[in-house]
Amino acid sequence: MKKSFRSMLALISLITVMALVTACGGGSGNAANSGNTAGAGNTATTEPTATPEVKTGGEVNIYTARHYDVDSELYAKFTEATGIKVNVVEGKAPELIERIKREGASTTADLFITVDGGILNTAKTEGLLQPVVSTVIDEQVPAELRDKDSEWIGLSTRARVIVYVKDRVDPSQLSTYEDLATEKWKGKLLVRSSENLYNQSLLASFIALNGEAATEQWAAGIAANLARDPEGGDRDQAKGIVAGVGDVAIMNTYYVGQLSVSQDAEEVKVAEQIGVFFPNQDTTGTHINISGAGLIKHSPNKDNALKLIEFLTAPEAQEMFSSANFEFPVNKAAAIPELLKSWGEFKHQSIDFAAYGEFNPKAVEIANKVGWK
Amino acid sequence: MGWIKSLRRWGRRTDGWSLASAAGAAVILLPILYVLTGLLRAPNDNWVKVKQYLLADYVLGSLKLVLVTGFFATLIGLVLAWLVTGYSFPLRRFFRWALILPLAVPPYIAAYTYGTMTSYTGIIQATLRNRFDLVLEPGTIEVMSFRGAAFIMTLFLYPYVFMIACSFLERQSASYVENARLLGSRGFMLFFRIVLPIARPAIIAGVMLVIFEVLSDYGVSNYFGVQTISKAIFQTWFGMYDVDSATRLAAWLMLAVIGIFVLEKYLRRNRQFHATTSRSKPLSPSRLKGMAAYGAMMFCSLVWILAFLAPVSQLVMWSIQSYRKVWRTDFADLMLNSVTGAMIGTVIILIIALIAARTARLLSSGAAYVLARIMTAGYAVPGAIIAIGVLAIFIMLDERLMPIYELAGLGKGRLVLSLSLGMLITGYVIRFMATGYNALEAGYEKISLAYSEASRTLGASKMRTFIKVEMPLLRGSLVTAFIVTFVEIMKELPLTMLLRPFNYNTLATRAYQYASDERIYEAALPSLLLIVVSLIPVLLIIMMERGKL
Repeated sequence: MKKSFRSMLALISLITVMALVTACGGGSGNAANSGNTAGAGNTATTEPTATPEVKTGGEVNIYTARHYDVDSELYAKFTEATGIKVNVVEGKAPELIERIKREGASTTADLFITVDGGILNTAKTEGLLQPVVSTVIDEQVPAELRDKDSEWIGLSTRARVIVYVKDRVDPSQLSTYEDLATEKWKGKLLVRSSENLYNQSLLASFIALNGEAATEQWAAGIAANLARDPEGGDRDQAKGIVAGVGDVAIMNTYYVGQLSVSQDAEEVKVAEQIGVFFPNQDTTGTHINISGAGLIKHSPNKDNALKLIEFLTAPEAQEMFSSANFEFPVNKAAAIPELLKSWGEFKHQSIDFAAYGEFNPKAVEIANKVGWK
Repeated sequence: MGWIKSLRRWGRRTDGWSLASAAGAAVILLPILYVLTGLLRAPNDNWVKVKQYLLADYVLGSLKLVLVTGFFATLIGLVLAWLVTGYSFPLRRFFRWALILPLAVPPYIAAYTYGTMTSYTGIIQATLRNRFDLVLEPGTIEVMSFRGAAFIMTLFLYPYVFMIACSFLERQSASYVENARLLGSRGFMLFFRIVLPIARPAIIAGVMLVIFEVLSDYGVSNYFGVQTISKAIFQTWFGMYDVDSATRLAAWLMLAVIGIFVLEKYLRRNRQFHATTSRSKPLSPSRLKGMAAYGAMMFCSLVWILAFLAPVSQLVMWSIQSYRKVWRTDFADLMLNSVTGAMIGTVIILIIALIAARTARLLSSGAAYVLARIMTAGYAVPGAIIAIGVLAIFIMLDERLMPIYELAGLGKGRLVLSLSLGMLITGYVIRFMATGYNALEAGYEKISLAYSEASRTLGASKMRTFIKVEMPLLRGSLVTAFIVTFVEIMKELPLTMLLRPFNYNTLATRAYQYASDERIYEAALPSLLLIVVSLIPVLLIIMMERGKL
């Protein structure tokens, strides 16, 4: 009995030691940054990347739901320019919000970066963010692409448009999102599941602009006009119309850009056969969504976080976002790639992005109610 | 009544083993209990909407998927296992290990791969169109559907049943099968009358893993547009921003799963499955001839091609196309992170599972069984929900420990444990307890208690009995448990995403980074590396086994 007890104890201590070893291995990296909080007050007017900066060192910790290669490249460039190390955890936005919430005042996260105004607004209303004070950022990002209290700052935008097959649809037949819900497009429309956030924000924007009843009627019309049950992602809708399943699809512009530069020749062919149409130009404008960065309330490296936002919204970084990912820059001074230019200028919905978050639950409810799967 | 008795017995038997089990159980149980306490909190307004709009359809969807996938995965897994252990035919030795390989392919990657392969621009339709000028009617090949989801899940989950059944049949069924053969039982009759009933514990252990996987899957059903309970959970969380209701749903799901398996145990309460003799001589396969041999080979090939060769070849092609674009110098780190995490997690799981399975068996009471089932229930709910439980417990721990951190000079108000790899590893242990435990439990069931009792009577200590008597008898199951658990952790995604420390990427998270943005070509290289790296230990172990056998 004694002997077996001793061996058991040995086993337990082994487990404990292993757990401790792994614990310390990962933890040590973040212990160093506690020194940085001191200067958090004086934020405002540091020149961005233009002047060769004194390498300050330190770090900035990001929780991001964007996971594009171009983001990592930009972080690397930022480190090169400033000496500030960028630490990243990538995840899904609602999960990251939950993590920030639970970490509370002890969090090490400085910035929350995600796609979708609704989620940015949720982070704000959950009380996870604080205002960004920087004249540089104010100059680089127009007010309509920032939170009204500057708790988050837009980094890039994308438009959710109507895409059509060139050989079967004349763009003159197209006009508005509302038109897609009419008899005219019965059995000809493709769009992905309403479980997707892009569609939920689209619905939320309609609730804000047209009211609940009209939105429900519209969603019911969309559900009734679908050529097939929603499946796949945005690219699959483009492929679907080219394959002849339907004629028109609702999708994000930047996927069209990605198809056009795909290493698969077949996907490039798909991109060539479809056209991009910006709807509602005479009425409420085309729906756009936003990627943005929010400054976390208990951010321990606030100065560095601000420097990073300034860097990301400067023309050079903005051009990189746009050329690598076919997103629209938020900084008007940034040049845009040829493909985006070829689609022409367009009027977008003028709406507070907060509405996406505010009306999201209602949007989900409406979609469920009308049977838009 | 039984509970009280077993508690009393527990009290009498308190020793190193049961203390260790209790400690292991606590680590695993706390986060799971945290999720279950979701049921105790008062439901909010959303809960009514969830019930009204989501529940019926989504529960039905899951039920259908579980039944269809469970049935076919069991059928295919078991028939294949019986073929390669009971018969000899061309390529049998190859299929014995090759049919395990699909285990290393994450189902959501398989879903994206098949989805793209069969799409308008995919290899099948593009070849028909460009080479033969043949345009398929849209919808001819339709994988993005319920049937497609069942197809993918069956193909990539049957190895659970296959592996556990193989290791069981090879070592355990010899005396029954050979007696039946002597008595003239052949073919289907032998399979249905003998193999099926005696393999029941192994089948159940395998099916349980399949069912848990199907229930917790989000990737496949989301991409293919199938309504499942797991999707309802995420829609409640991400769509309504309501973590509480999402947790409540998950808690119900866990309760249901625990209930099903307690019921199963109850139904076979009076049966014993251990071998009657001490000779555990391996099953000698009987030779198939002519059409039968050809048929067996064709069937194995078909499954293997669909579940491994075809999707992996496609991933290889895409990797070649895209590697310039996605190759980054940190790939070595990704591999190292994946392997280290999986290795540490697997070892801890096996140790705890061994202790727990042994305790549950010795106590052989309802209470111990229920406890074991709760410990393994983490596998049935989406990883992200388990992650929330782990996060909550770790942050609570950190808050308690803050004064100590301060004394140790780590700074004021810092998080330590919850920013460490330790939290992620704990998450792995909780989520994948089931894979280790089920494989070991099936192994324990076939060992007669008499061996351990004899050893103890002859004066050997428990530890010595364990190492000298039980471990060798468990070897096959340990190997199975190791492989399944290791590969599972390698593939793991949602938990890793939510619980990882800064800058900690794995092959799975890198693959997700591209796949979630519909860039399957770019996702191909990390996915392929993930499959290859998962397979290295699998192949090593199989070769080791071979050498010993």
